[in-house]
Amino acid sequence: MEILVCVKRVPDTSENEISVAGDGKDIQRDDLVYSVNEWDNYAVEEAIQIVDRAGGNVTVVTVGGDDSEEILRREMAMGANNGILLKDDAFEGSDGKGIATILKAVAQKSKYDLILTGAQADAGAAQVGGMLAAMMDLPYASLVNKIEIIDDKKLKIGREIEGGNQEMNEINLPCVLSIQTGINEPRYVGIRGIRKVASVEIPTYGAGDLGLAASAVGVAGAKVKKIDYFVPVLGDGAEMLEGSNEEIIAKLIELLKAKGGLK
Amino acid sequence: MAGKFFSMRNLKFLLYEVFDCPALAGYDYYSQHNRKAVDMVLAAAAKMAGDLLWPILKEMDEHPPRLENGRVKVHADVKKILKEAGAGGWIGAHFPAELDGEQMPLMVGSAARFIFAAANYSGAVYADLCAGAAHLIAAFGSPRLIATYVPRMLSGSWQGTMALTEPQAGSSLSDIVTSAAPMGEGVYRIKGQKIFISAGDHDGAENVVHLMLAKIEGAPPGARGISLFVVPKKRPDASGYLADNDVTVTAVYHKLGYRGAPITELSMGEKNDCIGYLVGEPHQGLKYMFQMMNEARLGVGLGATAIASAAYYAALEYAKARTQGRKIHEKDPNLPQIPIIEHADVKRMLLFQRAVVEGSLALLLQCSLYADLEKITQGEEKERNHLLLELLTPVAKTYPSEMGILSVSAGLQCFGGYGYCDDFPLEQYYRDARIHPIHEGTTAIQGMDLLGRKVVMKDGQAFLLFAGEVDRVIQAAQDEPMLAPLSEKLREAMTRLQNVTLHLGRKARTEGVEPFLADAVLYLELFGIIVIAWQWLLQAQTARLALAKNCSQGEMNFYQGKLFACRYFFGYELPKTLGLAERLTAADNLTVEMPVNCFGD
Repeated sequence: MEILVCVKRVPDTSENEISVAGDGKDIQRDDLVYSVNEWDNYAVEEAIQIVDRAGGNVTVVTVGGDDSEEILRREMAMGANNGILLKDDAFEGSDGKGIATILKAVAQKSKYDLILTGAQADAGAAQVGGMLAAMMDLPYASLVNKIEIIDDKKLKIGREIEGGNQEMNEINLPCVLSIQTGINEPRYVGIRGIRKVASVEIPTYGAGDLGLAASAVGVAGAKVKKIDYFVPVLGDGAEMLEGSNEEIIAKLIELLKAKGGLK
Repeated sequence: MAGKFFSMRNLKFLLYEVFDCPALAGYDYYSQHNRKAVDMVLAAAAKMAGDLLWPILKEMDEHPPRLENGRVKVHADVKKILKEAGAGGWIGAHFPAELDGEQMPLMVGSAARFIFAAANYSGAVYADLCAGAAHLIAAFGSPRLIATYVPRMLSGSWQGTMALTEPQAGSSLSDIVTSAAPMGEGVYRIKGQKIFISAGDHDGAENVVHLMLAKIEGAPPGARGISLFVVPKKRPDASGYLADNDVTVTAVYHKLGYRGAPITELSMGEKNDCIGYLVGEPHQGLKYMFQMMNEARLGVGLGATAIASAAYYAALEYAKARTQGRKIHEKDPNLPQIPIIEHADVKRMLLFQRAVVEGSLALLLQCSLYADLEKITQGEEKERNHLLLELLTPVAKTYPSEMGILSVSAGLQCFGGYGYCDDFPLEQYYRDARIHPIHEGTTAIQGMDLLGRKVVMKDGQAFLLFAGEVDRVIQAAQDEPMLAPLSEKLREAMTRLQNVTLHLGRKARTEGVEPFLADAVLYLELFGIIVIAWQWLLQAQTARLALAKNCSQGEMNFYQGKLFACRYFFGYELPKTLGLAERLTAADNLTVEMPVNCFGD
């Protein structure tokens, strides 16, 4: 099975304190530590496991600058066979539809049986997988937390739905699935895997290579524009308790008693 | 943001900006470990440390190993840690490709070991012990021993240990009595007892392989009669069946800290059926063991630095969040309280920790670089790297070990009463850190090694090389206005060290070896402070160069922080060499002179 996994380089929330940039248009990105989007990492692991069972290849692809190459290499060290970097000044400022447009162009350059994305990334929109499927006229399932191969035409997939319930579906191949965390336990990257991929050439495609008009992607093609970033002002009735665990517990008990919640 | 236990930024500053680690990829042997690879190795180590080791730090402390029905039970995740360490190539990181190793520079491996140990020292040692023991077999064992044991130890399925100490022979290894009776073809019947054997048995590994010192019957007395053996817990036969090898765990020690790893007492040959396989030539065991010791001692220094690092970041986070009091000049009680990091004395404690942690880490990476260069250079250059590594190893083991305890203590102090309670990890770090001046050669042994052997070896050639290294940094710093006063202070301290060394040399000639070595630990302390000052000046130079270029506010804060920490070290720590030099050049031999019976009451 030929599988394309779309991945994104995002700020690592375990390594950074995220704050809003001075102009209010973005987060403060100076000196941030980045890593692969967690959902995407699960998607890559799932793809590797499918290929281990059914044969084929896993290709990881990302849209970004030169720095984004590091996450492709990381996922290749994990076991993906190929990486593709989609880099062009014209791609900068793309909205979700723009990213899906770019990914569609690269997906159509080869024949993929399955396309995986993470359920969401740092922007939290959870839109690219669905848009990509619609643009390619492929069946789509979101929040997928289980994949079984029925045959080379169909998959049985589980979706996480409201209330912790599970929904099972059959879906025709080729298709697009957005992967939920917890579907598997992603393997660790080891030195051996790293050595194999540290010096391999990763092909890079720009808008011209993909046959894309600059006006269809990037800022020019964006139909959604971010206009403001801010930390919401604490409303009345909300109080953040601060201090050590003991201090927070003591304050909480005091508040519960004061408001009649605890006798 | 999850708990921080080390700084990736600082690690990359040292590896890339100070020591130019990627340059090693220019040598054939390390060619696969370019900058991209090193970046990925660091990220992979951080991920594994954060996901696998850090979450069970407290659990491993609260549920120490226990002996049940002759088997030591450890935390269930130890098996997974060993498996991942094997599968990822972390155990075989420094082994050559022909042994299925990764040929990674020790400098990068040390960085990874530091990350693992900062997350959970106990959890990290199992893999380190496998690597050390397998390294001994690979270096000196027969092809058959290598084929039987090394792959399984590098995969993490068999645990490796170093079995040296006996009840009557701890620091004095020449007094060991474990015996080896020849059975022919390099096979011996082993009988004896070993104590304080780290990971000497546990249920996280399929087998345990002891690299054990013993004396062959009829061997010369003392250190010249010690041989090295592979003594497995279960001995494999030709078909791969593992038969019991009559190695009994008689006790698991109940320790102050470092509780996640079992330290065991072993009895060999209770049923007269314990087989050992000779490694290399008879009577060369101690020599083999000590050839491997540099790496093990650097490992201890890394462990000590790592624990101090975790304690520092816990203290830093707390100091930023905890509000207490107001600025000392502010008398208005209606003003809100301020975070304690704004108090000068809290900054002093944090600076002390940073000075110890980042100074020690720099030295350990410097030593790792000497080891890497020794491996790939030839002739004079190889000898130069070898001598510098030999000289600095006791310092790199001891300074972080001794000062790490004080550093963790300062971190604990930042928490006030909470630091003394188990709500925060500081009390555990304080207990965990205490092992380091003891294992892999106590501080006293390191002091005697430095003064009695390393400083005087080859007519003081290693010392002269070291003086040259320090002078190179002094010369480079003296033209920089901000660093010139610091370089002058380091020059004065080096002169002090040279004078003390000459004085002690005269003492050795005129008064004998006992007065010469009586205060070797103090000499090591003096030496250590100067070595760390050298490493701080080197870092400050790099920071100054970086600040001269355009950098972001965050980067500027980082480099300025380096300069403050360097100034702290030179202002607060380096002056301690004055008192040490005074004691070391004193005419009297107080400790030698005092009769034992005066210690009565």
